[in-house]
Amino acid sequence: MEILRNMWRRKFRTFLTIFGIVIGMFAFTVMGSMALNFNKMIDGGKRFFTGQISIMPKGSSYMGGSGGMLPVDTLNKIAQVEGVEAVAAGIELPMEEPNPDDPIGSSMSFGVPPTIEGTDLGSSYRNRNWVTLDMKEGRMLEKGDSDDKIVIGSTIALDKNWHVGDKVKIRGREFKVIGIINKTMTGPDSYIFMPIQPARELYIESNPFLKSLKEQSDNAAKISDAALATMSLETRDQILQAKSFKTEDVNTVASASWEEGFDSEVVANRIKDQFKDEVLVLSPQKMGEEIDKAMVIFNAIILGVALIALVVGSFSIINTMVMSISERTKEIGIKKALGASGWAIAREYTLEAGVIGLLGGAIGMGLGVLTAVLLNHRMAQKGAEIFLIQTNFLVTVIIFSFAIGIIAGIIPAMRAAKMKAVDAIREL
Amino acid sequence: MKIIISGKNLKKSYKMSKTNIIQALNNVDIEVKEGDFSAIVGPSGCGKSTLLHILGLLDRPDEGTLTIDGIDVSKMKEKQAHKLRAKKIGFVFQGFNLIPTLTALENVMLAGKYGGLKFKERKVKALNLLEKMGLKDRVNHKPNELSGGEQQRIALARALINEPSLILADEPTGELDSKTSLEIIEMLKRFNRDENRTFVIVTHNDEVARACKKIIHLRDGKNA
Repeated sequence: MEILRNMWRRKFRTFLTIFGIVIGMFAFTVMGSMALNFNKMIDGGKRFFTGQISIMPKGSSYMGGSGGMLPVDTLNKIAQVEGVEAVAAGIELPMEEPNPDDPIGSSMSFGVPPTIEGTDLGSSYRNRNWVTLDMKEGRMLEKGDSDDKIVIGSTIALDKNWHVGDKVKIRGREFKVIGIINKTMTGPDSYIFMPIQPARELYIESNPFLKSLKEQSDNAAKISDAALATMSLETRDQILQAKSFKTEDVNTVASASWEEGFDSEVVANRIKDQFKDEVLVLSPQKMGEEIDKAMVIFNAIILGVALIALVVGSFSIINTMVMSISERTKEIGIKKALGASGWAIAREYTLEAGVIGLLGGAIGMGLGVLTAVLLNHRMAQKGAEIFLIQTNFLVTVIIFSFAIGIIAGIIPAMRAAKMKAVDAIREL
Repeated sequence: MKIIISGKNLKKSYKMSKTNIIQALNNVDIEVKEGDFSAIVGPSGCGKSTLLHILGLLDRPDEGTLTIDGIDVSKMKEKQAHKLRAKKIGFVFQGFNLIPTLTALENVMLAGKYGGLKFKERKVKALNLLEKMGLKDRVNHKPNELSGGEQQRIALARALINEPSLILADEPTGELDSKTSLEIIEMLKRFNRDENRTFVIVTHNDEVARACKKIIHLRDGKNA
C-alpha cells in the first residue's frame, strides 16, 4: 500500500515510466503471440516432416519451387529399397491459379497458402507422427473414394464458407466436400485433400508444358498401330515418344515410410545413395534441423524485441528510482533511525520498482491481448488468425515485467540501502 | 540504578577537506542512568547533535568506549546496530519527521515493524499509545492534516512503541510555539515519571533544560 502511495506522489513521472514499460510489454505480447502462432504452425510441419522420409524431384527444394517430376517407375523402385515400407506419390498445387495482375498473391501471406494436396489413397504409406487427422465434420478420404471427393482444412472451410455436402468448384472443376478437418493450427488447415488423379489433372492443366505433352499423348493414342506403320521413321519415333507420356508420372512430391525396426536415417541414406541422380531425399532428422533453423530466426526476432523492452524499460525504471531515492533521502534516514536494516530499505525500493514493472507489464499485456484478439477476430472471418494467445505466455510476460522492475530497481535500491543513516539524518 | 549509557573519552572528527578537520567531540564523558531525564545543552556547533547521533548508533566514535544498556557499541557494525536501534532506542526529531504518505497510525506502526512486532501487536500498541497522546480521533490522518503539536506527539508515540531503554530527542520543541512546547515537555516528563522511561534531550531551550533532572553541558566538543 505504501508502495502505491509513494508511486502516486509523483503521478506524472510514474505514469511516464509505466508507459515506457507498457509499450515494451505491448510489443512483446503482440510479437510473442505471433511467434507462438508461427511456432505452433512450424511445429506441426515439423511433426509431419519428421514422421516420414520426404522425396522430391531433383532440382527442387523442400520449400517448394519444383519444375521436376517423380516418375512412378522411380517411386516403385524406391519402394523396393531395403527398409522402405511404402511410398506414396503426391501432388502439391496452389488452390487457385495465380492472378496475372497479382502473381505473388497469397503466397506471401502469413502462414500456409491454400494448397491442393493430391494423395495416393492406394498406398500403404503412413506418417509416423501424424497417423490421423481429427475431423470436425464428415470423414477423411478413403481408398476407393471417387475422384470428385475432397476433404478441406478449417481455414479453407471458413474462408470459402464451404460445408460438408457442398459442391464446390476448384480450378474450374467440381468437387464434393465430404469432410472438414478440425483446426490443427498448422498446414492442414489450409489444405484441400483430394485423390491424386484429379490433382494430377489439375496440375497438368495449370502447366502449359505438361498440358502440351498430354495433348500430344492423347492425340498420339488415337493413331492406330496400322496407321503408325505407314508413317516415316522420324514421325513414328515422335509419336511413340508422345505416347510414352503417362499421367501417373506427374508427381511433385513423395513420402516414404520405413519398416518397423529400421532406422529412418539409414533408410533415407540408402534411398539417397541409390537414387541421387533422380531425387532429393530429406531424412526426418534433416527436415527437423531445417525447420528448427527457421524457428530459431523467428524466435531470435522475438527475443530481440523482448531485449529492447528490457533495456528501455530498465533504464526508465532506474532513472525514476534514482530520482525517487534522492528525493526521499530524508525518509531513508528516518527509517534507518527507526531501526530499518539496509535490506529492509533495499527490499522496499526494489519492490516499488517491481510494482512499476508489474503495472506496466499488466497494462501492456492487456493492450497486447486486446489487439491480438481484435485482429484475430477480424482475421478469423478468413480463418487466418495470426496470434496464438497462451496463458503460459501471458504469465511469463507478467513475471518478466516484474523481473525487469526488480532487476532495474536493484542498483538504486542498493544505493539507498548503503546510504549512511547519519548522512541521511543530516538532511533533516 | 541501572546504567543505560556509559561513554568515556568519546572523540569524533570530520574531515571537511585535506587541511580542514573539525574535532566535533573531544574526550567527552557521559553517563545516563535508567529513568534519567537529561538534557544536553550548549552553543551551536558544540557537538550536541554529533553526540546524540553517536548515542543513537547512527554514527560511531573515532575513539573512546560507549555502552548502551550494557552492550559495547563503540565499534558495532551497522548490521547489528540497526537491531539495537530498533529495539532499545527511540528517536524524536526537531522537524517531527513523520513519513508523509503514511497515516498517524501507520507512522507509529512502522517503527513497531522494524522492532519486530507482529502486525496485530503493533496495531494494538500504536492505537494505545495514540490514545494516551490524546490522538484517538486522528489516527487515520496524514501528517499534513495535523498540527505541529499533534505531529510531535505522533513522533513520540513512534519512539515509544518498541518500549526502548532510551529515548533520544533532538530539539523536540524546536518547531513548536511555547504553549505546545510546554505540552510536549509535560508529556515527556509524564512518560519518564509514570513509565520510568529514560530521556536524553538535546535542546537550546532554557525552559526545556530547566525541566530536566540532569544537564550535560558541552562546549567546543568537550564536557563543560
